[in-house]
Amino acid sequence: MTLCLNRLQEERKQWRRDHPFGFVAKPIRTPQGTLDLKTWQCAVPGKKDTLWEGGVFKLDVIFPDEYPTKPPKCKFTPPLFHPNVYPSGTVCLSILNEEEAWRPAITIRQILLGIQDLLNEPNPESPAQADAYNLFKKDRPAYERRVRQVVKENPPM
Amino acid sequence: MFPTLPPPPTPRAFLSDVPLRFITPPSTRKRKAAEAAIADDTLPLLKSATKAAHTRNATSTSLSDTPSDKDEKKKEKEKENTKQQDKLDIEHLTGFVSSSSSSVGQSQCPKKRGIATPATTTASMDSDDDFMSDMSSDDFLGTQGSDDESIGEDFGDLDTGFSDDKELISHQRQPFEVEFKVLDPPEIEREQLAQINNVAAILGLPPESAAILLRFRRWVQQERLIEEYISREDEMLEEAGLGTKCQGVAKTEVVNDFMCEICCEDGPDLETYAMRCGHRFCVDCYRHYLSGKIKEEGEAARIECPGDNCHRIVDSRSLDLLVTDDLKDRYRELLTRTYVDDKENLRWCPAPECQYAIDCSVKQRDLFRIVPTVVCACKHDFCFGCSLKDHQPTPCLLVKRWLQKCEDDSETANWISANTKECPRCQSTIEKNGGCNHMTCRKCKHEFCWMCMGLWSEHGTSWYNCSRYEEKSGSDARTAQQKSRASLDRYLHYYNRYANHEQSAKLDKDLYLKTEKKMTSLQSQSGLSWIEVQFLDTASQVLQQCRQTLKWTYAFAFYLERNNLTEIFEDNQKDLELAVESLSEMFEKPVPELAELKVDILDKTAYCNKRRVILLSDTAENLSKSKLIH
Repeated sequence: MTLCLNRLQEERKQWRRDHPFGFVAKPIRTPQGTLDLKTWQCAVPGKKDTLWEGGVFKLDVIFPDEYPTKPPKCKFTPPLFHPNVYPSGTVCLSILNEEEAWRPAITIRQILLGIQDLLNEPNPESPAQADAYNLFKKDRPAYERRVRQVVKENPPM
Repeated sequence: MFPTLPPPPTPRAFLSDVPLRFITPPSTRKRKAAEAAIADDTLPLLKSATKAAHTRNATSTSLSDTPSDKDEKKKEKEKENTKQQDKLDIEHLTGFVSSSSSSVGQSQCPKKRGIATPATTTASMDSDDDFMSDMSSDDFLGTQGSDDESIGEDFGDLDTGFSDDKELISHQRQPFEVEFKVLDPPEIEREQLAQINNVAAILGLPPESAAILLRFRRWVQQERLIEEYISREDEMLEEAGLGTKCQGVAKTEVVNDFMCEICCEDGPDLETYAMRCGHRFCVDCYRHYLSGKIKEEGEAARIECPGDNCHRIVDSRSLDLLVTDDLKDRYRELLTRTYVDDKENLRWCPAPECQYAIDCSVKQRDLFRIVPTVVCACKHDFCFGCSLKDHQPTPCLLVKRWLQKCEDDSETANWISANTKECPRCQSTIEKNGGCNHMTCRKCKHEFCWMCMGLWSEHGTSWYNCSRYEEKSGSDARTAQQKSRASLDRYLHYYNRYANHEQSAKLDKDLYLKTEKKMTSLQSQSGLSWIEVQFLDTASQVLQQCRQTLKWTYAFAFYLERNNLTEIFEDNQKDLELAVESLSEMFEKPVPELAELKVDILDKTAYCNKRRVILLSDTAENLSKSKLIH
């Protein structure tokens, strides 16, 4: 538990010192006004020159007590139209999976950059929602229309 | 009036209750040298084991000719002669049995031989040169010789009363038995170590690197590994996560200006560790990471570096340095587990909580003609090919098909057979759910009469019941229907018998649990000693075993093509079934009568067992020569 909090404290420090352009990541404040280091509110911008450009997508990153042994959970709020995002909004990504590529040394910066890459490079091998997956597989123009719509609905703050 | 397709009744699962734990991926197997050593170590034990084995032979194999090339002759002869010979044998047996019941007790369960110690296991392996030569395993024959000799010597002083030459010759492994060895965890570890050291010596690598290579290549044959290593050393080391340099001592260090990327700790005297990939973390984090992998995820052989996107495998030296003592046992256990999982000639005993593995040389590709039943030291008998409970004489492939079929079909088929007919034109299954006999198939719109299955248009005005007889369209339709019904009936015939034996075996097992009570009460009521009532125990075990075999003969028969051999098979099946049923009946008699029936039960037990051996031997031989076509 102390490991978890120490590490998060340090990550916050590093993030404040420097972070990629257009990204947001900050721990939430509890109703009592204290900082909750284990829940962060983040935002990932769509990459330049992709379908997703111009959108900024909000997500919650929730760290378990076992962090960094176990990966955090990343959840788009509201759930995002994307083949690898579950209907609940949870992101399905190999580096966020303990059994796959999660390593304790992965930082929140790497996670958010990874999610940004995922936006325009969905992995059809592990679909997480039927909606986006089916369109992506069967009707690419319709899929792209939907994405543009989603981008419009999520303008930069 | 509206025909509908039947609702699918829930199919019942008939899979064995033994869970499938591990499936070895196919790779090439290798023989180990430990076998001979064990045989030597345990010669004194072997002696007693041989004694038991020999007694068994006296009772059970004199009937069958040696499983030799006299095959054709044997089959003809056997069919005519079995009964006569059995009779003779029983007489022979009865005399023998009443004189020494305890040894017969042992003799009745051939499966038991492989059980108690590695010694007895080896003893059971000694016996079938003939079978092995079919399987062309020269090295096996090589190790055989000495054992056979020692057995021969033992016989010398034992067979005074009831031996003749024929019996000595027939002391061979039955054709349906396979050579196998039970390994306990330390033995598995020793074997692993021997291979690692061997490869390390040849390649000039440190043992821990050799171990990683072997695990990385899933314990392929040493020759293949070495060949590959020589042809593409660098790539292989890189892929296995070993990098190009394998020298150097693993140690923790204190590094200037270091901050651990995991815990973000820094400090002038922070102990750190990095493998040759250079991903450096503090020792605490490294430990924590490894213990998580070992304890929670059960990984051992292929733990990767904690650094992001680094696939270097944590080698055993690093592990030795970092893993705390309480985890080392678990780590070693996990390594052993992957070792057994990876080797084709090893398989874990699937019994719950059992720690042993079986070493057997039967290969996956031979499973269509060999049914390798093995018996673990925990007494669980299972098939080495598929880990299911012993299913002799049916080959794994057919077992799988049969179980699948039963799961899909049996209940459904029963219901269909009882409640439906097929549309004479499109063969859709139709349930008549009321109304008149004028049927219109929903699928193909064919109109026909439910009674005679003939065209409705030929019916004229007899709308509500069919009084016609022998119109052509009707009889054709009925023939087609009969055909499809016949195949269903055929399946149900075999299925019902299969299921019946399964059920009876369960009931017999319940009975077996009561046997002990029976035996105690028998002791007090009739004044028999404990040893003298063991025959009940033996009888019930044989009963179980025979039912198991019978059960699978029906599954087997379902897939057999009809020919002379099938008839012999069915005769054998019938004989065994009769014997089993009558033994089962005797077994249920009230306790006071049991004492009087003792001799009968003993005879019947021996007879059942012998019929079982005959059936299995005969089938195994024909199977191995691909004479039984399925």
